Amino acid sequence: MENKNLFQNLYLKQFNESNAIAYNERFVSGSSDYNFQLLDNAYRNAGRTYAKLKIAIETNNCMSEDCALELTGIKNLEESPQASLDFLSSLVAELSVTEESSFDPNNNYKYTAANSLMNGRPGFSKTDGYQAYLDLLPDGSQQIVFLGPAFETPLVINNAALNALLESDTSLVVSTPDINKDMLRLLTEVGLFAQEMISENGELASGAKISEEYVMMNPDGSFDYEIIDLGNGKGRNVLKYDLEKIEKKVTPFINAEVAGLMSSEQDVIAAWNVYISKDTSVEEDAQMAQNANAGDTSWIYELDLPLQQDKKVLFESKYKEYFMNNYLKQFTTNQLPTVKEDAAVFDLAEAKKAKAQKFLDDNDLN
Amino acid sequence: MVGLTSAIIGGGASIIGGLIGGGAAKKRAAAAARETGRLKRKLSSLENSRQAIINPYAGASNLSDLATDLSDRISNPMANLSVATKAAEMKVEQSDIALANTLDTIRATGGGAGGATALAQAALQAKQGVSASIEQQEKSNEDKRAAGEAQMEQAKLAEAKRQQGIQISEGQRMQGLDAAGKQFVFGQRENREMQELDRTASLLGASRAAAAQASSDQTSALTGTIGALGSIGQKLFS
Repeated sequence: MENKNLFQNLYLKQFNESNAIAYNERFVSGSSDYNFQLLDNAYRNAGRTYAKLKIAIETNNCMSEDCALELTGIKNLEESPQASLDFLSSLVAELSVTEESSFDPNNNYKYTAANSLMNGRPGFSKTDGYQAYLDLLPDGSQQIVFLGPAFETPLVINNAALNALLESDTSLVVSTPDINKDMLRLLTEVGLFAQEMISENGELASGAKISEEYVMMNPDGSFDYEIIDLGNGKGRNVLKYDLEKIEKKVTPFINAEVAGLMSSEQDVIAAWNVYISKDTSVEEDAQMAQNANAGDTSWIYELDLPLQQDKKVLFESKYKEYFMNNYLKQFTTNQLPTVKEDAAVFDLAEAKKAKAQKFLDDNDLN
Repeated sequence: MVGLTSAIIGGGASIIGGLIGGGAAKKRAAAAARETGRLKRKLSSLENSRQAIINPYAGASNLSDLATDLSDRISNPMANLSVATKAAEMKVEQSDIALANTLDTIRATGGGAGGATALAQAALQAKQGVSASIEQQEKSNEDKRAAGEAQMEQAKLAEAKRQQGIQISEGQRMQGLDAAGKQFVFGQRENREMQELDRTASLLGASRAAAAQASSDQTSALTGTIGALGSIGQKLFS
């Protein structure tokens, strides 16, 4: 099934970022009208309506018994300017998420288009066929309607619905959690690094090393090194880590981190789509954020919420993999010995011979 | 941006500035609220997965059962003292033999009835002496039995006291260990919980402060817009 949101969002993102329209002569030569005048239009007839209601009440010509409808209408009109401001400010904030660098393109693309319109992006003017209305509804609520070429069908958002969403700590457009920041913080929390390796601002100090209790040792207490081939017959020792012990140590912390994320399942989907699903490396993520990301393995907000248990388990497992591979691995590979004399480059053949001899000596095989 | 958005929404630049400021503040408030929720769940997960606190004294057992009551083995060695009647019987026998010999001598010498009577009285006296001796022995035995009984009671009392002493001291030891164990567990849990609470409080405090600040920013932004909204309001409701 074609993922329309993914396609349209990436198209809009590219369209906005490429500045391609600046090179479109027809656009440059023509004028664009961005004057949607949402408030002016919404309140154009409000004064007249208000006056009619007031007069009806004062002259006792109400349509309803005890002027109930007229009084409600007046109350709604008096409260509506503030409600409009609240509504528009919430909407602007929600739509601005579409501009975040880690925005999940699986969000409804219409919000990206609406954000372009609200921000007067080139190509989203009235001249380009776009229109937006703020309507004051008889029930006292308000709605905004976006129309235009990017909207297959009009996008309608009601302020009461939006308020209800925001009140319940959810959102219209999901802001992808900053997984990089979370994982860097997690590194300092998993208990693998000594306190002095963590700087005052809570980040790992440069040159931080995993504590020695996680380094493999020989029975005689010396370090059990791995020899790496540097080429030209030279080699050097690197520390070997007890990965099983490390995994055992970090797992509860990773699980807790995931449990925290699960407090907002839409955040989990965003993190999955943007970072976790493909288990990409940190370097790749910058690229992936612009591209399809999870692509055909994306989870769809409309279909996958609330998250099923199997997806939660899968997320936890992939989150752990992501952390281990992209954040922790750098501290468990190619780490030079802390003992100065063991850190020197040596002749590989001699070292191998010495190691073989040590094995013979240790096992009385001479 | 404000200028352009102003045209889109309509109204003065300060209204739109307020809208954008208010929107951003709302977003920060929502983010702070979500962060609070996330931290709460994370801490809860950490608390649930942490190692159980053990009571190092939990295996201590009451050893008072090992102390056995030995009082049933205490007996009165004087309980069954026998009276030494053999000597008495021999004495009676000897006096009977002596009496018989004396009677034979009296008969042989032609002694009279008065001699025989005196002799019978002597024999009676001798037998009375024997009887007194047995009585004396029996009384002595009775005294010893009573003394033994008294000693036995003392010994039993001492054993009972020893038993009670062991049970009390072991009970006190167990209670002490139990209390120490509970204190240890409490102390450990208290320490951990305090750490967690401190951390939670600190994190939640920060989140709430962020939410409050965002809310305050939002109010300031919107208050600004209300002033700017005056023209709309005046047009509408005057």
